[in-house]
Amino acid sequence: MALPLPPGLTHAEVAFLAEMELVTVVPRQRLESIDLLSGKTPTLRPPHRADLPLWLALLLKKQRRANILPPAWLHPDSLRSILLHETKLDPEAFSPPPPAPARADPARPGLARRQQQQQEQRESGGGVTLSAPFLASCTADAPAGYLPYHWLEVAEAMLAHAGDDVAASLGSGSGGSGGGGSGSGSGSGAAGEVRGLLRDLVEVRAAKMRSSAAKLEGFGGGLMSLRGVGAMELAESRGFVLGVVDGVRKIGASAEAARREEEEERMGEGVDEGESDEEMGF
Amino acid sequence: MDIDDILREVDPTFHAIPQEKRDLQELTRAWIAERCAPELLPWPANGLFERIDDNIKRQIEKVEEMTGDMDPKTNFALIVIQTELERYRYLVRSYLRARIAKIDRHTLHYLSTDDLRSRLSEMELAYATHHQALLHNHYLSSFLSSFPANLQNLNDASAGISMIETPDLESAVFIRVLKNTLVQGRGVDTDDAVESDESDIMILRWADAKPLVEAGSAELV
Repeated sequence: MALPLPPGLTHAEVAFLAEMELVTVVPRQRLESIDLLSGKTPTLRPPHRADLPLWLALLLKKQRRANILPPAWLHPDSLRSILLHETKLDPEAFSPPPPAPARADPARPGLARRQQQQQEQRESGGGVTLSAPFLASCTADAPAGYLPYHWLEVAEAMLAHAGDDVAASLGSGSGGSGGGGSGSGSGSGAAGEVRGLLRDLVEVRAAKMRSSAAKLEGFGGGLMSLRGVGAMELAESRGFVLGVVDGVRKIGASAEAARREEEEERMGEGVDEGESDEEMGF
Repeated sequence: MDIDDILREVDPTFHAIPQEKRDLQELTRAWIAERCAPELLPWPANGLFERIDDNIKRQIEKVEEMTGDMDPKTNFALIVIQTELERYRYLVRSYLRARIAKIDRHTLHYLSTDDLRSRLSEMELAYATHHQALLHNHYLSSFLSSFPANLQNLNDASAGISMIETPDLESAVFIRVLKNTLVQGRGVDTDDAVESDESDIMILRWADAKPLVEAGSAELV
């Protein structure tokens, strides 16, 4: 058997992808640039910040060569506002994904332009659009208040291997901001609070994923949007959701064929204006 | 070097994606797509794998050179290089294995038309043809030879039903929209068309998602 895995990424594979996310580190030792397959790493000179992939940052952290700066969205205030959005503002859908980074447009001073568009314009043709693990959505500059695609995996890895850095970055920020009582016990106080908030988020969003399964039951349409969902959450329910969608399709296959035939007939009866709907060709 | 290159160098907002990063993005995307799509996808035609192969070979040579050096400073760089090499090779390996698993499952289907054959790389095509021939010979020598001659084929389509199993192109997949675009999906009760924004995640049938993925306006997740 060449690959004994079901279609769709497994949890371990998602975690592997998440380790490619860029994070910001503060080096404690000088380290020359290393020529890697994915490009040269920046030269590390303490105390200048540098962006590195998570796997390398964790390696440096374990050897005490660098500290990791947690992204702004991992701050308890940010997590609390996301949690508020998830529970109160929009109890149906997931909170929105981070917006694409914008930059000042040198051609039109005063106007901002989104980076993806810039790249597309410059290298229209062989250009590659960057996506999930390669967007800088987990660096220190990433915006607060939005959960990136690999939020759970990155947060877990940071808390597990760089919990002291997470706690240290909170030291000055939220001293006595209530707490909410959810972060009980594990680890030092501040990291414990982050952990508690993350656990709340996981539960709220898992409930949403489950309720979307109820929508699937009457899944008659051809599309369903899950804007803002995370990679782990997808991996968690992939088998179930896709199974239901495929099951509904197979059960309704004859009804669907009948509907298509009917529509085709109706199109045929009308004066030949069939070109208005391309899908009829199927 | 023309005027554009010079302008680019002094433009502080220009972040050209370096070739290495672009390759890694493409490899990762190809791997995810191959792991998620119900059918075999075309072998990348832009020389991506030749480039990756060369880079990996060069990196291995570098590792071999550096192993002799016992200085702890360069030693750490060696650890990093080896770790990254292993991660990179895992991606390539998993990608190739996912493809071979699909070819194994529906060998005759992928060998049946030129259009489908062109999705396989040269090596894969050689593997598929040889493997299929060996398998058929084995069937012939073990039991098929005792059948009447007109029942000894594996690709019979005489009764209107083809013997060749095909992948289910209508099965559902998850996609992420990369460029604002119109997404159309066929459903049991209704057909939907939604104007979707960048980084939307959708569930729809692979047959509907395929044109978007091929055009680069969406990717599988």
